[in-house]
Amino acid sequence: MHQTISATRRVALTTVLAAVALGAGGCGTDTTDTSASGGSGTPSSAALVLDDGWVKSVDAPRMGAPSPAGGMSMPMSAMFGTLRNPTRSDITVTGGSSPVAGTVQLHETVKTASGAMQMQEKKGGFVVPAGGTFVLQPGGNHVMLMELTAALTNGSTVPVTLTTSAGPVTFTVPVRAFSGGNETYNPSPSSS
Amino acid sequence: MTREHQHTDGTATAASGPRRRTVLLTGLAGAGAGVVTGAGAAVARERATPAPDLRLERARASARPFRGEHQAGILEAPPPYAAFVALDLHAGADRDAVRRLLTVWTDDIERLTAGRGPLTDLEPELAAVPASLTVTVGVGPRVVGLAGAERPSWLAPLPAFPQIDKLLAEWSGGDLLLQICAESPTTVSHAQRRLTAGVADLAAVRWVQRGFREPFEGPGVPMRNLLGQVDGTVQPDVTGLDADLLWVGDDGPAWLRGGSSVVVRRIGMRLDAWDRVDRLSRENAIGRRLDTGAPVTGGRVDTPADLEATDELGFHVVDDAAHLRRAHAAAPHERFLRRPYSYDDGTGPETHVGLVFVAYQADPVRQFVPVQRRLAEMDLLNLWTVPVGSAVFAVLPGARSGEVLGQAMFA
Repeated sequence: MHQTISATRRVALTTVLAAVALGAGGCGTDTTDTSASGGSGTPSSAALVLDDGWVKSVDAPRMGAPSPAGGMSMPMSAMFGTLRNPTRSDITVTGGSSPVAGTVQLHETVKTASGAMQMQEKKGGFVVPAGGTFVLQPGGNHVMLMELTAALTNGSTVPVTLTTSAGPVTFTVPVRAFSGGNETYNPSPSSS
Repeated sequence: MTREHQHTDGTATAASGPRRRTVLLTGLAGAGAGVVTGAGAAVARERATPAPDLRLERARASARPFRGEHQAGILEAPPPYAAFVALDLHAGADRDAVRRLLTVWTDDIERLTAGRGPLTDLEPELAAVPASLTVTVGVGPRVVGLAGAERPSWLAPLPAFPQIDKLLAEWSGGDLLLQICAESPTTVSHAQRRLTAGVADLAAVRWVQRGFREPFEGPGVPMRNLLGQVDGTVQPDVTGLDADLLWVGDDGPAWLRGGSSVVVRRIGMRLDAWDRVDRLSRENAIGRRLDTGAPVTGGRVDTPADLEATDELGFHVVDDAAHLRRAHAAAPHERFLRRPYSYDDGTGPETHVGLVFVAYQADPVRQFVPVQRRLAEMDLLNLWTVPVGSAVFAVLPGARSGEVLGQAMFA
């Protein structure tokens, strides 16, 4: 489960980190917790909140198109944003699901021994500290939506459920066009 | 509307104030751990607090509210920098595509005007100074048709003015309009880039007209066009008695109530020819003095012209073909709100310098066309001006809390 991303992405990653430090003050108007808060729906009682969440769009023509590497296309996307934990206990995100994706995985981006940046499944999940945040961003940690079953159109929304130590949390996440994050995904590098 | 504005200000303050301080303190704690203790720590903390940058604070605080009955960017005094961007929906666009595009723009514009980047913005620093940013969205007949809404009769290209028009397709028409205005050209450019890139899968840019006004505009420093004339002097009282000249009312399509229309015409200026004209002839052409903008019959810039006044030879003091006389409203409804910007594209054809003429009104055919028709028939200024672009858009009503721009089109 490794993906290599180009050097330009590494530059972008640095930019994103700086940006997040400056501009993470937005409020979570786009996404709401619907299941883990016991139905109250208010941010203070939600177990986990997604601020400024979005999912990269995937147009219909790209569904089933041959991949640049010549292998089978694996239509996929990713969810980004800032997970916020307003509770007094750490929350661990261990997985997820979505009606538009056959598989949902938690990914991290790591530097390999050769210096290249690679994406891989995050062992142990994402830990959102009590009263803290966990940033999902292109080139960094993110939630992969794989084996898409439908196009994800710009300006629509998709439901994404995260499995957490505090129970499942479902977000309605806006879909947005994004020209970055175009790394190809080969589940088995040796097969190409 | 008020609530969102407060939220906006609160966000901007929180992003610049406490957070920066937290970073500083963290840095101090790391560097001076074990050395700075007790009262010494307090002193160091005091010294480390930089003098507040009031200029930046003001720029960050200058966020205009986005939500409301009307869109922003119409009633406000025009800030000095603008971009007018027309887009065409891709072939095959349907009702859902229109709705999704307006959903993206509503969210993006609300964030940008509040000084935040859109969701996908990897450079939100470029949005951090709202600089009074407003983004005003207009739609053409194709969008209204795709949405399935009633098309106002006036939503079509203006009638031709064959005496003067030299219209080029590259400056005319369009399915959608973004009017982006701010006090910072960087803010305008970033908003333009994000708003067009964010819907590139749905619509392509057709034309862009950048404009500028006098950054020091104010009492004693009026807006002057690049012919040197004081421009935009006579305006209807659109926040008072003449509000119905600006906003579509009960006689218009229900989805457009609280909206308006905008005419964007690109008027090239033949400056080489203008340079050969003496100052008196220039004032005669417009019917106003160049220095004060007052009518040639005297008074101040806002003094009504005496159109009947004659000189010792019996000729009208305001020339029979002067722009002021020909543009004068023949009926009370022949008035509209002008929001013009100058343009100077540096080089190119003769019309690379001129005016982006922008007029808002409830009904352009009823209010604007009669005036433009008189000017096309006879106006001394036509010797030095050439219309090279023309477009008409319906200006959507404002989006109230929780609404998407133009959502009433889909009702």
